Amino acid sequence: MMASCLRVPFRMRSLLAIAAAFVTLPLAAATIDVRVQDARGGAVRDAVVYAVPEGRSLPLAKKTAVMDQKNRMFIPHVLAVQTGTSIRFPNSDDIRHHVYSFSPAKPFQLPLYKGTPANPLLFSKAGVVTLGCNIHDQMSAFIVVVDTPYFERADNGKATLAGVEPGRYTVRVWYPDMRDEPRPQTINVTGDARVAVSFVAGHAAAPPAADHHAHGNP
Amino acid sequence: MAIRSFQARLIYLLIAVLVLLEAGTLISLYVAGQRTLRGIIVNELRVGARVLERILDTRAKQLSDFLRVLALDFAFREAIASGDQPTITSALTNSRSRIDADAVVLIGLDGTVTADTLGGRMAGRKFPFASLLKIAEERGEASGTVSFSGRPYQFVIVPVLGPRPIAWICAGFEVEDRVLADVRHLTSLDVSIWTSSAGGIPALMSTLPPEERNDLIAQMSGMSSPLQPVETTMQLGNATYATLMQSLSTADGSHVNTLLQRDLEEARRPFARLELQIIALSVLLLLVAVAAAVTFARTVTRPLRVLAEGAGRIERGDYVSPIVLKQQDEIGHLATAFNQMQSAIAAREDQIMFQASHDALTGLPNRTLFIDRLSQSIIAARRYGPSVGMIMMDVDRFKDINDTLGHHFGDQLLIEIGRRLEQTIRTSDTVARLGGDEFAVKFTADNAEHAAQVAARVGTAFDAPFVLGDVSIDVNASLGIALFPDHADDPDTLMKRADIAMYDAKKNHSEIAIYEPGRDEHSIRRLSLMMELRQAIVRDELELYFQPKIDVVTERVVHAEALIRWNHPKHGVMRPDEFIPLAEQSGKISLVTKWVIRNAIKQCAEWKRNGIDLTVAVNLSALDLFDSELPTFITGLLSDAGLPPEKLMLEITESAIMKDAAYAQRILAEMKRRGICLAIDDFGTGYSSLAHLKRLPVDELKIDKSFVLNLTESATDDLVIVRSTIELGHNMGLVVIAEGVETQESWSILKRLGCDMAQGYYMSPPLPASKFSEWLASSRWGTGNG
Ligand SMILES: [Cu+2]
Repeated sequence: MMASCLRVPFRMRSLLAIAAAFVTLPLAAATIDVRVQDARGGAVRDAVVYAVPEGRSLPLAKKTAVMDQKNRMFIPHVLAVQTGTSIRFPNSDDIRHHVYSFSPAKPFQLPLYKGTPANPLLFSKAGVVTLGCNIHDQMSAFIVVVDTPYFERADNGKATLAGVEPGRYTVRVWYPDMRDEPRPQTINVTGDARVAVSFVAGHAAAPPAADHHAHGNP
Repeated sequence: MAIRSFQARLIYLLIAVLVLLEAGTLISLYVAGQRTLRGIIVNELRVGARVLERILDTRAKQLSDFLRVLALDFAFREAIASGDQPTITSALTNSRSRIDADAVVLIGLDGTVTADTLGGRMAGRKFPFASLLKIAEERGEASGTVSFSGRPYQFVIVPVLGPRPIAWICAGFEVEDRVLADVRHLTSLDVSIWTSSAGGIPALMSTLPPEERNDLIAQMSGMSSPLQPVETTMQLGNATYATLMQSLSTADGSHVNTLLQRDLEEARRPFARLELQIIALSVLLLLVAVAAAVTFARTVTRPLRVLAEGAGRIERGDYVSPIVLKQQDEIGHLATAFNQMQSAIAAREDQIMFQASHDALTGLPNRTLFIDRLSQSIIAARRYGPSVGMIMMDVDRFKDINDTLGHHFGDQLLIEIGRRLEQTIRTSDTVARLGGDEFAVKFTADNAEHAAQVAARVGTAFDAPFVLGDVSIDVNASLGIALFPDHADDPDTLMKRADIAMYDAKKNHSEIAIYEPGRDEHSIRRLSLMMELRQAIVRDELELYFQPKIDVVTERVVHAEALIRWNHPKHGVMRPDEFIPLAEQSGKISLVTKWVIRNAIKQCAEWKRNGIDLTVAVNLSALDLFDSELPTFITGLLSDAGLPPEKLMLEITESAIMKDAAYAQRILAEMKRRGICLAIDDFGTGYSSLAHLKRLPVDELKIDKSFVLNLTESATDDLVIVRSTIELGHNMGLVVIAEGVETQESWSILKRLGCDMAQGYYMSPPLPASKFSEWLASSRWGTGNG
């Protein structure tokens, strides 16, 4: 059930992309192909790429997303959402969890609970929110909240941002355990152009990952 | 001395061997002990270092666990995550007190200190121990010992999880003295931690005593942290420490070094005590061994010394004290053998002494002992008086008795004489047998008269006849007395004087004679010669020499005068004037005379057989003139030899004839009657009267050589005497002969004066028979080829 919910935006976007391809000029939508590789050319797992428009703001999304808890794991491990998205935290296990976040973008806690809380939580501030469970220390997940509708998970090191309105964008990437953010790339997107952007991810040093605070040099 | 040195050598040897053994043992023990000790100490130090590390690690782990638990506290994490500085600080402070840390610091993920419990001293700065933080980032946590605030601190760092690390919390715990004390307690090692940080003052915490601690600080200053553990020795205070120094951590300008130290003296103490015990034991053993060696050497050498002393006693002539050794071993047997030897020597020496001092036949003291006792008595008499007398005696006619009755009888007689003599004297006096039939008595005498009385009593021994077996015999003895100090000052002289007195007695046919002072020592030789003369005849020691008498006119030999010589074994060739007077004195002259006549006639007969016609002349003694049997003896010899009597001429000295002129005249007449020629010898010395001379039936007159020897033309006195004697002789119808002709001159004078015959060295000296025969054949005066 949740899986079908997840697939819906992709299917929609691909439909949109197909539509854009068919009606390029009237819609004037561009496509940004992003490649994220590590230094050895390997794929970086769970990377999120997104293009932030410059000099203008786009309307907030009025969407809902789900961060499930199953078998003492958060699913998905990385969830990317546009600011203004409401996220549900259903508990699919028959034990209680105590979900929390100390991240400045969205500190919260859902004290011990079962089932699905009545109200979803609104993520209105961009940033990475690290989730934990106060009962199960090993449980963790990331919600990447971005100020743009153009974002995508780059599974297998590739992501395509489609239907991008012309304009100037800063393309960025985030991935778990990121130490130094690969340098954002600024591009101009015009008409129905197809732009390729690639990132080389400086790999995370150790298994314990850094969160989005870890920008600077220690 | 030899024994002592043997004993000493034995002891020294034993001690030397023991000392060497023990020294070797001690040295090897010491070396092994040192090596073991070093090994033990090194090991102890390493173990100590591990113990210290373990304690610190355990503590760190414990602290880390505390801190981790704290960091997981949700409320604490919430507080930290709140970002509110006062909240965070108060949370830290609360945590500090909860885990009893000395400091708690919150570090951002960028390494900047967010908050601390040190009054915000570190907040806003980089966390100083970046290396430690780096380890925490890599491994999720870290712990280490660092120099902090001049003290060693254990810092532990764990992440604050949300659930990914959102910050680091670091807790510092000062390493307390108790930790070092624990290590010290566990390991007996001294533990020091030397800390220094950049810009900070180096600090030392240590279990060492203050003085050593100060020394260590002085020595550590300027010393850098060792890369590798260093094993060394350090001199701290008065003690030497084996030291293991190693770096606990060196990073971020913080140096923490640990020193584990062992006081060598203290470490060695058990060894030293052991060594001391062993040395004491060794010394004790040595003393015991020395005592044993000395005792052993004594038990070996003491009997040897006793034996040596015993042998020394025997050597000094002590045959009475035996060697006392109560041992049953070889040495004991040796001692017994020594004692047996001692008594054997004593017995033998007694026997030898007795034999040496006593006469074997009679058992009386011998000459040696007699002289010894005589000497003793003389020495005593010299001090205390009065006089010492001695009697020398011999048995008259003992030789005849021996010859007649046999030696056995003679021996028995001597034994009996000895026995009787002993009965005549006092016990303090001594009778000795000096040898042969000679006895001597020594006695104490007041004076000569008393001595004579003693001698008379001694003489009574011979009063009774001696009855031995079937034979009874009267025996006489001659006794000669001499006195000390009247006659002599020493035993030898005294005995000679007594001997002389004895001969006097014999000569005078008196039983006893006392020495007459003035008799010279010469008589001794004469006396002995007297004794030997009879032996000389038996042993054929006498020999006849012949001297030619030359007819002055024909200058040819006509007579040969027989002159006796004694080839004495000791005195050599003796001329008659040396022993004939003795023969006369001892009454042995007739033996000699008869020997001479017998041999002269024998020689004459031999010449005759060889065609040499010579008359032999023989000298007669005065005493011979008293031998009435002599004429018959001579006639018998002549007829036996087949010689006419005129072939023998007897020469008698003028003085002999004058002694008893009447008797001599009778004998000479008898000789003459038998046809024997007679001559007067040594004429001119005897003051004989012409009246006598006229009555003597002599044929020849021999002028004494004292007138002839120096006869020269210028010697008027001799010349006158010789001439008148020749004239006198011729006037009486006698043939005149001169003897002592030694020169051509005297020969010429005699010839001129009309002397009939001459005799002397000018013609020939007296010669032995064989030489004389040669002379006869070769000389111009000779009979043969003249
Ligand atoms: Cu849970």
